[in-house]
Amino acid sequence: MAGTPVLDDIELIIEDISGGGGKPPSRGDDGGDGGDGGGSESDRRPPQRDSSPKRYSTAMVLAMLSILMFFMVLTAAFVVLRIQNLQAWSGIHMPWILWVNTAVLLSSSATLEVARRKLQMDRLKGFKRMWALTTILGAVFICGQAVAWRQLAAQGVYMTSRLASSFFYVFTALHAVHLLGGICALLYVGLRKFETARVSRFVAAEVASYYWHFMDGLWIFLLALLYFGQ
Amino acid sequence: MAMRLQVAHSGSGSTSERYVALTLLHGSLMVFFVLTAAPQFGFGYFFLPLQIGANEMAFPLLSGLSFWLTWFSLAGVAVSFFLPVRTGMELWLCSVIAFSFGAILTSINFCTTVTDSRAGGMSLTRLPLTVWAWYVTAVLSLLIFGILLAACVLLLSDWFLGTQFFPLRTTATVSLPALWQRWFWFFAQALVYVALLPCFGIVSHLVATFSRRPVWVERAAVLAICAVGVLGFCIWGFHMFSSALNPYTPLVFSLLASSLGIPASVLLASWLGTLWQAEIRLTTAMLFAIGFISLFLSGGLSGLFLARHEVVAVLISDDFVTGHFHLVMGVAATFAILAALFFWFPKLFGRSLNETLGKIHFWVTFAGVYCIFMPMHWLGLLDRARFGGMTSAGGQGSDAARSFITAAAIVTIAAQVIFLINFFRSLWYGKQEHQRNPWRATTLEWSLPTPIPDDNFGEHTPEVYRGAYLYGVPLGGLDFLPQHVSPERLAKFR
Repeated sequence: MAGTPVLDDIELIIEDISGGGGKPPSRGDDGGDGGDGGGSESDRRPPQRDSSPKRYSTAMVLAMLSILMFFMVLTAAFVVLRIQNLQAWSGIHMPWILWVNTAVLLSSSATLEVARRKLQMDRLKGFKRMWALTTILGAVFICGQAVAWRQLAAQGVYMTSRLASSFFYVFTALHAVHLLGGICALLYVGLRKFETARVSRFVAAEVASYYWHFMDGLWIFLLALLYFGQ
Repeated sequence: MAMRLQVAHSGSGSTSERYVALTLLHGSLMVFFVLTAAPQFGFGYFFLPLQIGANEMAFPLLSGLSFWLTWFSLAGVAVSFFLPVRTGMELWLCSVIAFSFGAILTSINFCTTVTDSRAGGMSLTRLPLTVWAWYVTAVLSLLIFGILLAACVLLLSDWFLGTQFFPLRTTATVSLPALWQRWFWFFAQALVYVALLPCFGIVSHLVATFSRRPVWVERAAVLAICAVGVLGFCIWGFHMFSSALNPYTPLVFSLLASSLGIPASVLLASWLGTLWQAEIRLTTAMLFAIGFISLFLSGGLSGLFLARHEVVAVLISDDFVTGHFHLVMGVAATFAILAALFFWFPKLFGRSLNETLGKIHFWVTFAGVYCIFMPMHWLGLLDRARFGGMTSAGGQGSDAARSFITAAAIVTIAAQVIFLINFFRSLWYGKQEHQRNPWRATTLEWSLPTPIPDDNFGEHTPEVYRGAYLYGVPLGGLDFLPQHVSPERLAKFR
């Protein structure tokens, strides 16, 4: 161990947790009666609300970055295999319901923004109504994607039929899985009692909306890729 | 050990299929659960919040989830070795997916904690280099584990749903599909830096602490850590010089890979500059840190050869790559992990590891790893046997070298028993450490009592007044300024 001799008073400084100019607080094996005096343990507890709500937004941005990387890698695979099989590539006929689904998803983003505006204006009832509508539109989109799969199967195009169909099923399935996560987030914000939660309704709604809009944008990108890549 | 014996007596013992499975098990365990998990998950989860003055990680629930995913993954990888090949591979792949999820959650947690949970006064310029390294590693992990996940998802789709994303073409030489190779190296090359970056941070931190000097050109060292992260993400293509890339791409990847030498040199200069004319305390932790520098330098030099595509194509075989890779990534990183363990052991367990046993362990291991991996470089230049233990090319000199390597491996592995004895003996009977700050270090974790309280700093969030490496500043009997002690308190002793 380090053998540097140190003066007792300096030893006290570096062993002291607070570092400030006040009384040394009582911690662990410190002994002593430190602290700022007054007030019971419960009085000094931090408030229920989270003191750093920004971290939820940060985490969501990072999660979106990771998801973006995941889909970009799949996109790279699509582009590479498409170029490698330029002559042998056999495209698929995109089911018409995809356009309806896209409209539904875009509408859900719009209703989400309306809901957030209502929350900003403290109109909780209006917020809940629009939020529920967004959730329903999200569920309708997922069901619509299932219908698109059925339409494709009716054409005799299955996952293993050709590379184009494999990519179609994989992209739509993975997007749907991520969107289901978004629906869970919407349900959480819509049903949770925020009076006792660490995070405020406003922060939760904001973070959920980032994800939802991201899923919306991601779908537009994937649709364009699948459409023009045929 | 089993692998070395197989190489020494090829044909006896395990069948070739078992040998490949053993190689996979060795690689998976070491790369995922030692080199990736120990410096980042192991030390990072404990010391990151302490060093930035936070009471906990930003998302404790994610920490728990990541922990259990990693354990599940470890169990899966271990069990997969004992199963039939096909079932084993499926379980292995699921385990890797679980590990990737855990790593992504960890990355999000680390980045958010550093971004949003720092104590007052803990500006980016005051962050310890360990925190910088964990931060950059987390960003890199966040990006690359998405690549591995995407590759695994498509492979699962091929196995279970019958798609053909990775069709195996059986020609004269069976080769992996180019797409898989690209993704694998995109991920795996960057993973080298995920393993090494925290080690850079740890070594810089320890060198400054035990040299009693500030980190030399600290800001350049921070930039170098960031540059290693950025370049490490971009150089994957140099593994595929012989895999039908566009004729111009080897040149680009060669340049990128060679340019990694610049930040690596900056870090090396920073370590040597810090050590220069310092009053070095040769504790076991410091010995392992210096050992890391030595191994990193030796391994890094051989890496310069591998960055040249024309040299790789003509002169170098697998043994050279194995020697380089193990020296710079496996062993060097393990030295940094051991250095960190010796350094933080008193704060983790309230007892100290035995220094004498530690030093014996260090010297035997240090000599041993050089005796194992330097001859491998020589072997790599001597013959071009492509399949490790399966080929017996090379003649007498080559055979003698292989026997020497095996003997060195036996001695080195035996020396690890000393470490295990030291670890467990110290855990229960080691010298109790009553001081909070036995190494006289500056960072915030040493301001807390040992054992660390459950809520770290509790309500007494520390205020940070200065950078992390103010050593060599005479102040009464002190030669360092802790980050958390206010100037007013220090003024009394000037």
